[in-house]
Amino acid sequence: MSDETPEPAEKAPSEETLGTGATRRRALMLGAAGAAAVVSIRPALAQTNASLLTCEIPVPDPGRAGKYVAADGSVVAPGTSGAFAPAGRPFKGFEVKQALGGGQLPGTTYEQNQAYVNYIRKLQHGTSGFTCFASLQMPRG
Amino acid sequence: MARAESLRIVHLDAFTAIYHRASGITHLLASPAPEILATLGEAGLSRADLAAKLAAQYDMADFDAAALAERLDELVVSGLVATA
Repeated sequence: MSDETPEPAEKAPSEETLGTGATRRRALMLGAAGAAAVVSIRPALAQTNASLLTCEIPVPDPGRAGKYVAADGSVVAPGTSGAFAPAGRPFKGFEVKQALGGGQLPGTTYEQNQAYVNYIRKLQHGTSGFTCFASLQMPRG
Repeated sequence: MARAESLRIVHLDAFTAIYHRASGITHLLASPAPEILATLGEAGLSRADLAAKLAAQYDMADFDAAALAERLDELVVSGLVATA
């Protein structure tokens, strides 16, 4: 995209990329001062990397505190066989990001980690930790 | 400008929508911003070279270095263009 096409009648490859190609000279107005030509729309769920590191996901959410988490991520009555006790503390965004990428949540066994990650994947809008979880899904980098 | 493969560019009549995958931000550009971006290319140009290349490609009735600088600054603020 750094070609130096001298002929205005030729279609520059860079123009093809943006589809502004013309086969003859087109008028181009630079516009007056203060007439903005660029508007940027940021996703509502986007957070700064700093808040991504510090946002928290409680397992389970405070509304169901004390309940156990089954292997499939569902929240079940305390003491249910095969289910896991609530996490001792909320997990940080970066810990969950690592766990979603194949890592393990701190202080968990393999099966416990699987259950907690399944719970987090099922988080619904309005549940504590959902916004944090959703922001982990945002493309960035 | 940002690497071409990190952008999804869609033309919407009078506007060009550019989705930057890395940031999740969508930029709506009106003329002359898309033309400036295309002319700059990935390699980038100096302001003088950009002005010359634009003048070679387009009929610029109101060419004004200050207006071009302002349009460039908008693109820099958006993150689509970086200054050298």
